[in-house]
Amino acid sequence: MRLPRFEYVKASTTGEALAALQAGDGQTRILAGGTDLLVNMKYRIERPATVIGIRTIDELCSVTTGSDGSLHLGAGVTLSSLAENSLIKESCPGLGRAITAVGSKHIRNMGTIGGNACLNTRCWYYNQSQLWRDAREVCRKAGGNVCHAINGSERCHAINSSDTAPMLVALDAEMVIQNREGERRVLAREFYRNDGVRYNALEPEEMLSRIEIPRGNTERRTAFIKICSRRGLDFAMANIGAAVSVKAGRCSQVRIVIGAIASHPLILEKTAAVVEEGGLSEGGMEQAADTARTELGTLTNLFSSAGYKRQLAQVLVKRVLQELKGSSRNKRRAGK
Amino acid sequence: MKRMITLQVNGDTCEVAVEPWHTLLDVLRDQLRLTGTKKSCGIGTCGVCTVIMDGLAILSCLKLAIESQGHDITTIEGLGSADELDPVQQSFIEHGAIQCGFCTPGVIMSARALLDKNPQPSDEDVREALSGTFCRCTGHIKTIEAVKHAAEKQAGAGGTSDGQ
Repeated sequence: MRLPRFEYVKASTTGEALAALQAGDGQTRILAGGTDLLVNMKYRIERPATVIGIRTIDELCSVTTGSDGSLHLGAGVTLSSLAENSLIKESCPGLGRAITAVGSKHIRNMGTIGGNACLNTRCWYYNQSQLWRDAREVCRKAGGNVCHAINGSERCHAINSSDTAPMLVALDAEMVIQNREGERRVLAREFYRNDGVRYNALEPEEMLSRIEIPRGNTERRTAFIKICSRRGLDFAMANIGAAVSVKAGRCSQVRIVIGAIASHPLILEKTAAVVEEGGLSEGGMEQAADTARTELGTLTNLFSSAGYKRQLAQVLVKRVLQELKGSSRNKRRAGK
Repeated sequence: MKRMITLQVNGDTCEVAVEPWHTLLDVLRDQLRLTGTKKSCGIGTCGVCTVIMDGLAILSCLKLAIESQGHDITTIEGLGSADELDPVQQSFIEHGAIQCGFCTPGVIMSARALLDKNPQPSDEDVREALSGTFCRCTGHIKTIEAVKHAAEKQAGAGGTSDGQ
């Protein structure tokens, strides 16, 4: 497959990139690693008139620690360099796991954290060749007004398959968004929208420049699990990111977020409440997993059936809680 | 409009005129005639187009040529010579890790990038490094064995004192 034609603008500073974005009148896309955008362009799903290259913008490529101890990840840092980052390994290993779950080694060498956080939503009826798509009515995601995934639906149900998104939501990360007027901050949980077309809070003239992860207290534990049909180079059938503070057997600040089954990462609030109450006992975990199954809302049957997704959610919640419990045990052992 | 760019490929400096939508793979194959790097899926799922850029295995089908300027690029043609193959190439032959050969340049470049960074990889490291490559005939066990063997041989040639 060949790329469609486009103009290329190399941006050396964030200011240049934002100026080009605004001048582009919505027909412009930011190119970072290219592992999502260029694929979609080859499929003729995206046809930007102008592509803005941001790989040489230094300010997007750094990992720093804020004065409050928060971790600042430049949107242009590659996934493989983040995977080796000792700050992430120490303070939020769950995020490290989510990062190494993305694609293959090659994809991670190219793809960036900002790109994965802004991953385009995907659908069985959309991520197909032009020839395939032409055989059906134009769907909502492609600018039409039907949804083939759920007939009669008022919105697009394309799925957010990002591996880092659920973990970023679980970590209460803040997305720093820039436009020509300045910057604004959006919590990851509000950044993602339950709409396959407008799947995040970015406006056409804006770009994600940084992701900030709050320090969290010393009792914070994080975990991430992905289920897919192959271990490498596959989008998740479902994934889960969780963060919890464990102190003297009590769980607080519980965040359990399921990804890749809806248009945005689903925050399981009832399940989290069960964990806060019941802790990480066998019975408590069992009860939390049962709760997860019931709080997913309406699911579509894209890629895998709705029933199977509920089962995945149940299993994932249990596994992730066991992992969180295990990490506390390891810590005790290491402390001896 | 075509632009002139300068690429550093296998130690040579090459000037080529490219359109913005030309990928590095297009330029390597069609303009520089370095057809050792293969083109297959074009969407980053098969790994046959793998080249090494600044020490990292990357997919040349998803890299714009225009963004490849100023980077050190190595293709399969840059490994070894006709008389003396790269240890990874030699090991692939010895272990029968090749059948039709189409995926081989990509797998070898992925393995080379791994061994340059990590001369003594574990099984898991090798599997991770090759996770983005697909072989549809030999399978993946022999390639993994070949890479492990190449690593051992390389360590031996490096004059380790443990008698290997």
